[in-house]
Amino acid sequence: MALSPRYVLRETGQNLWRNVLSSAAAIITIGVSLWLFGGFFLFNYAVDNATARWEGGIEFVVWMQPEATAEQDANIRNSIEGSPAIKEWVYVDQNQAYEEFREIFSDTPELIEVVSPDVLPPSYRVVPENPDADVVSELSDQFVGRPGVEEVVSADQTIRDIQRLADKVTRVFLVGSVILLTAATLLILTNIVSAIRSRGAEIEIMKVVGATNWFIRVPFMLEGLVQAVMGAMGAWVGLRILDDTVIKGLSEPDSLQLMQGFRVDQGEFYSTSLLVLVIAIVVSGIGSAVAVTRYLDV
Amino acid sequence: MIKLNNVTKVYKGTVVAVRDVTVDIAKGEFVFLVGPSGSGKSTFIRLLNREELPEHGTIYVAGRDIGTLGAWRVPFLRRNIGFIFQDFKLLPKKTVAENVAFALEVIGKPRHVVRKQVPAILELVGLAAKMDNFPHELSGGEQQRVSVARAFVNRPPILLADEPTGNLDPQTSVGIMKLLDRINRTGTTVVMATHDRSIVDTMRRRVIELDQGVVVRDQARGVYE
Repeated sequence: MALSPRYVLRETGQNLWRNVLSSAAAIITIGVSLWLFGGFFLFNYAVDNATARWEGGIEFVVWMQPEATAEQDANIRNSIEGSPAIKEWVYVDQNQAYEEFREIFSDTPELIEVVSPDVLPPSYRVVPENPDADVVSELSDQFVGRPGVEEVVSADQTIRDIQRLADKVTRVFLVGSVILLTAATLLILTNIVSAIRSRGAEIEIMKVVGATNWFIRVPFMLEGLVQAVMGAMGAWVGLRILDDTVIKGLSEPDSLQLMQGFRVDQGEFYSTSLLVLVIAIVVSGIGSAVAVTRYLDV
Repeated sequence: MIKLNNVTKVYKGTVVAVRDVTVDIAKGEFVFLVGPSGSGKSTFIRLLNREELPEHGTIYVAGRDIGTLGAWRVPFLRRNIGFIFQDFKLLPKKTVAENVAFALEVIGKPRHVVRKQVPAILELVGLAAKMDNFPHELSGGEQQRVSVARAFVNRPPILLADEPTGNLDPQTSVGIMKLLDRINRTGTTVVMATHDRSIVDTMRRRVIELDQGVVVRDQARGVYE
């Protein structure tokens, strides 16, 4: 016979209420650990977005004027190609620049609407043989002020520092979240074991009158799932706040120029939220499964 | 209805609880299991409910060899067997009606069936007026009546009782026995382990006597000893 939803909900609710304090502890622990876990992803996305132009060892970018002539462009290209100090380079034309622009500003379609490829500058993204800051500075200076060149921008030490700092911060987030998720799993397990013990008499009666194993187990497993999902909801609220205040705050126009690409788009936010929910379900599944298979003798 | 063929149950490899027992119990019979403490009465009952499995021999309940039942089918076997405990085992935070309804809810009976059957069985055991009371508000006899109602609410064809009057005074015990007799008259097979000499002697039903796990007497319309 099928599980009665009314029965399952009532029993699950009673289990949670009986262990209300430890349930709250589990929910908070899961929430904080998932928030750290989600935060790890959001910061990674934000740093990746902020430093996208500087990935792959690119140390400086020569921005050409949109209206630069073919001759001016060929001059710069020849200089880059002929320089033994340059390891490799990539040319980003106006259409590619527009695609990149659309990606960066996907959250602000009104901005995309007013910009067309012809107003965006093409650029040369350059990887030098020697990434030393002084060498890069000397090399990039050779292109400053030349005909057709709008601006030369270097990935200076600050960006490298930010990347290193971000690496450390996200590592702390990841390690912290893994430790807390382990604690959360154990808390869920402990809560369910405690519920099983406090309901020993009921379980005995259930077995004697012929309740199926799943009928006995499901309310306990659901208890773990409810705790995990509530924790995930708390984490989601925390991530929203993190995105709206810290991450968006860092990317505001009056902050450092290099931080202005520090942002998380909606797709990245929702994929992180989904991942947080999946992790919550996995955590509760592990805690519940261990509890009901090892401690519930049916 | 119940058939044990050369059944032996050994605990921890050395303690023989039931030794080479062969018994046949027909549908609708009322059987007393008697014998001193440790003679194997409770093990006999637990074997019928598949709480224990024998080391040797076969046990048939309603024509089915319960030793070969898969674990997932055991609950369905137990739905055909009511069980009455010596210490009632009522749930203290549930009312009388809720305690009885619990036995139906956990086997997935629909709400309308629960609503219909619970008052009917409480009427049968004489507790209709106390369905909203909690167990601690009842006497020992009344608590055991609730336990009987819970065991019989699903109308199982077999009722097992492990010393159901063990915690009751003689007068209250008589009331419980009248109730079990009434249930037996509906065609339900009743197997009851007991130490109560006066009940066995008064009712004069089949008596199976165990001693150190061995059946030493199987007597129709028997007495305690």
